Amino acid sequence: MKKYFMFIALVLLSMTLATPSFSAETIKIGALYSVTGYMSSIDTPSLRGAQLAVKIINENGGLLNGRKLELISVDAKTDQKAAALGAKKLLSQGVIAGIGHSDPSFVLPSAPLFQKKGIPFVTSGATLPTLPMMIGDCLFMVPFGDDDQSFAIADYSYNTLGVRNVAVWTDNSMDFTKALSKFYKQRALELGMNIVLEDFFMMGDKDFSAQIARLKNTSPKPDAIFISSIPNEAGLTTKQIRESGMTLPIVSGDGFDTELIVTVPGKELANDVYFSTHTYRADSRPEVTAFVENYTKEYGVAPENAFAPLGYDAVALIADAITRANSAKPKALKESLAKTMGFKAVTGEISYTRASRVPVKGVSIISVKNGNYTVEEIWMPKQ
Amino acid sequence: MDSGYIAQQLVNGLILGSMYALVAIGFSMIYGIVRLINFAHGDIVMIGAFATLAFIETVGLPFPLVALCVFLTCCGVGIVIERVSFRPMRGAPQVTGFIASLGISIMLQNIGILTLSAQPRNFSFPGYMQTILHLGSVSFRIIDLVIFLTAIVLMVTLVLLVKKTKLGIAMRATAENIDVARLMGININHTIMATFAIGSGLAGIAGLMWGGKFGQIDPLMGYVPGLKSFVAAVIGGVGSIPGAILGGFILGLAEVLFVGLLPPIYSSYRDAFVFGTLIVILIILPNGLLGKDLEDRA
Amino acid sequence: MEMNRPRYSLAIMIISLTVFSFLIENMANDYILAIVCFTGINIVLAVSLNLTNGFTGLFSLGHPAFMAVGGYITALLTFPAEKKPLFLPDFPQWLDSFHLPFFPALLVGGCGAAFVAFLVGISVLRLKGHYLAVATMGFIIIIQVLLNNADTITRGPLGLNGLEDFTNTYWVSGWVIVTVYICWKIKFSSLGRSMLAVREDEMAANALGVNLFSTRSFALIVGAFFAGIAGGLWGHLITALTPGSFSLLMSFNIIVMVVVGGTGSITGSVLAAIIFTLTIECFRPLEENFGIYGVGEIVMALFLVLVLIFKPSGIFGTEEPDFVMGKHKP
Repeated sequence: MKKYFMFIALVLLSMTLATPSFSAETIKIGALYSVTGYMSSIDTPSLRGAQLAVKIINENGGLLNGRKLELISVDAKTDQKAAALGAKKLLSQGVIAGIGHSDPSFVLPSAPLFQKKGIPFVTSGATLPTLPMMIGDCLFMVPFGDDDQSFAIADYSYNTLGVRNVAVWTDNSMDFTKALSKFYKQRALELGMNIVLEDFFMMGDKDFSAQIARLKNTSPKPDAIFISSIPNEAGLTTKQIRESGMTLPIVSGDGFDTELIVTVPGKELANDVYFSTHTYRADSRPEVTAFVENYTKEYGVAPENAFAPLGYDAVALIADAITRANSAKPKALKESLAKTMGFKAVTGEISYTRASRVPVKGVSIISVKNGNYTVEEIWMPKQ
Repeated sequence: MDSGYIAQQLVNGLILGSMYALVAIGFSMIYGIVRLINFAHGDIVMIGAFATLAFIETVGLPFPLVALCVFLTCCGVGIVIERVSFRPMRGAPQVTGFIASLGISIMLQNIGILTLSAQPRNFSFPGYMQTILHLGSVSFRIIDLVIFLTAIVLMVTLVLLVKKTKLGIAMRATAENIDVARLMGININHTIMATFAIGSGLAGIAGLMWGGKFGQIDPLMGYVPGLKSFVAAVIGGVGSIPGAILGGFILGLAEVLFVGLLPPIYSSYRDAFVFGTLIVILIILPNGLLGKDLEDRA
Repeated sequence: MEMNRPRYSLAIMIISLTVFSFLIENMANDYILAIVCFTGINIVLAVSLNLTNGFTGLFSLGHPAFMAVGGYITALLTFPAEKKPLFLPDFPQWLDSFHLPFFPALLVGGCGAAFVAFLVGISVLRLKGHYLAVATMGFIIIIQVLLNNADTITRGPLGLNGLEDFTNTYWVSGWVIVTVYICWKIKFSSLGRSMLAVREDEMAANALGVNLFSTRSFALIVGAFFAGIAGGLWGHLITALTPGSFSLLMSFNIIVMVVVGGTGSITGSVLAAIIFTLTIECFRPLEENFGIYGVGEIVMALFLVLVLIFKPSGIFGTEEPDFVMGKHKP
């Protein structure tokens, strides 16, 4: 028995010692992403984006006269406990800022710990607009709020697509999708649209035949359907609706910003789909083309979804704030982040001018016609 | 709610049910012979789906050969899992195997994420499979029909295999009483290994069909079909092959009708309904609809 | 002298835990503290599940569901009234007036979980073996769905957040001691012996006058009570709760501790809980340095399978080892 314990102790010891030591010069940023569990298909691209940003900044000589960035990445395991523990681990390692998470459920246990220590936390993908209010002045968002993206696509459905009767499908298992639907319905009613059908599904559902049959049978006939889902269900729903022979426009938010809506149904069926998302896909700004090129070179695949550039932007945003503050102290960094104005991120310009501290960012409306993505318009929120 | 709508929902339910049935047959067969709830069965479905993708895209085999290769690959996986982990546990309490299979399932999922990445991949079948057929007001696709028929054909084949062949007789003897079977000169190890091989191979075929129907696969895809087909098997009576098919159809129909006929807000209670039904069935009909009274479960 | 060895072991445990809590609260950083607290919570979970699964041979997977019930009740009872308008805008007014300090709220949470266990027990305790496992697995999923859909109270999938961080090593150590003590007392009482009898041979136990149903119900209810407490501690440690946390995976993690430690051995559960919580954290540097996330889980699962193959009854079996018991064997 003793021998076993000795052996285990040795293994554990050697693992802790395996942590490489870096020179005190580096600026440490913590990354909290769920690279295992069901969030991994969304979070892993974010992490890779963030790692790419760090690599590029360091190759260009680092920040503050040559100090290198170091990204310490902890797996949040799609688990609140691991997210909270991971945050504490990062804080104990002396990070000056944290980034991470694409869903508010995981921001909520980790970001308050950063807040308590006065260390800024930049969420790259959580779009719940009340997050900064719930957590405090250390929380910064890279993406726009769910309200903005829903309003954008609702305006587009009404004004450009001429939708008057709309059906709404909601993934009832996630907060993001529920919030998206809530804001879409709110704007739709303000604009005078009729919501003729509301239907629900759960993340992980593969078969939507029952909901589709009901959609077909709805009267008055909907002019379009709003589907609130994450990327995993985006392709599946599009495919099954089109295969059932229905051709009505499908509209959605950034959950549809994935190649899956073209590859899963195939090019012929990926038609008449419109979604609001971060200004990045099919965009030709120099930041975007450079990012796509670098990402493809680094990982051998094009960015998987919009969460990749969002992760990249989170690091770039912090780097910009450090440069402007000319300091890598958390307090100075926080103040400098709060003053961000017109920062040219890959996913659009970021300014923190609102009282709610949700960035004022342009929202792309992208159309998919026969498998091709086109930017239809850039929607700007009111200040 | 007109009759056309209800007919369409019934067909939807049958199609979904045949998907569950397809996974449930292998599951039920393994249970019937070795009394093991194999939680890793769903993950073998995942392996089957990825194997299909590999054989189509990298090797470029024609379709029927792909199906055969997928079957054989998953047979191999099943044999390895049985040999390495379940055989040494034979004779331990039933629950031991169940926990071990949970462990294996978690291993397979994490290895999948590690090696294949968590990104869902698209998965396309030949175009003719996607053709829509109309029958009155009801519509479905060729692949749905193929899945339905595959489930039925596999059931009949398996029932014949178990009833008529020498291997089948050995399987039934092993299921009845493992020690007596050994005394009768049956090679228990071979019989059980064959059971696992066939059961896992069937899971592989199910994976191929799931991929083909939904067009998207990922390393965590096995969890839901594993769980649902398990419920299907329990409803039909675990261990009974026709029961697995029947249970699959009942579950599929119940799910679709639950979503389709009740007001939409109840759609998100779908899983609670499925498992609530499962518990009720376990309590009032512990042997399922077609299960034999093999042991006391309650 | 030897007769009192377990009592000495208990005294040593209480004293050393008190000293340990004091030292660590004052010396360690937040990360270490959190790991220590999670270890303690896992001990409570493993020992109480062992009461249900190990002593009585019920195979329940439902522990996370009881945790969820206890966790949510405790969280809602302690939620600061001034935060409610912002965090819980739809909260029913009539529930607003219920507010309790942490300790009574924990007890109410535990009792709530125990009550749910009582209701569940009435319906599913007739099932045996893995049929019970399956029914309780269904119960986890049902609780998750209900929590997801009870938006006004639970905020649905977003979960609750902004709970006060009451949980510290003192609270956790206290509950570890209470749990271990009570489970120990039960194990070495006549009740505990009837539990073990039910596990070994229920027909014989029944013939000797043991009431199967009430013995099993008791094991499930007491186990659920501590699971509810653990849920409350868990929520106030993380300061957030979501329905998704209380999943089958969590159930698996607790069961691994019970099975590896030895089904029926309290010492085994305690040690296994400590080893597993620490091992998973120790794998983090490895995963982070080499980018091989998920290896910790793979190794855990592999270890479990190996234990099941080579020592199916766990490291300590049903026994309590000599260093706790002395030569005294009850």
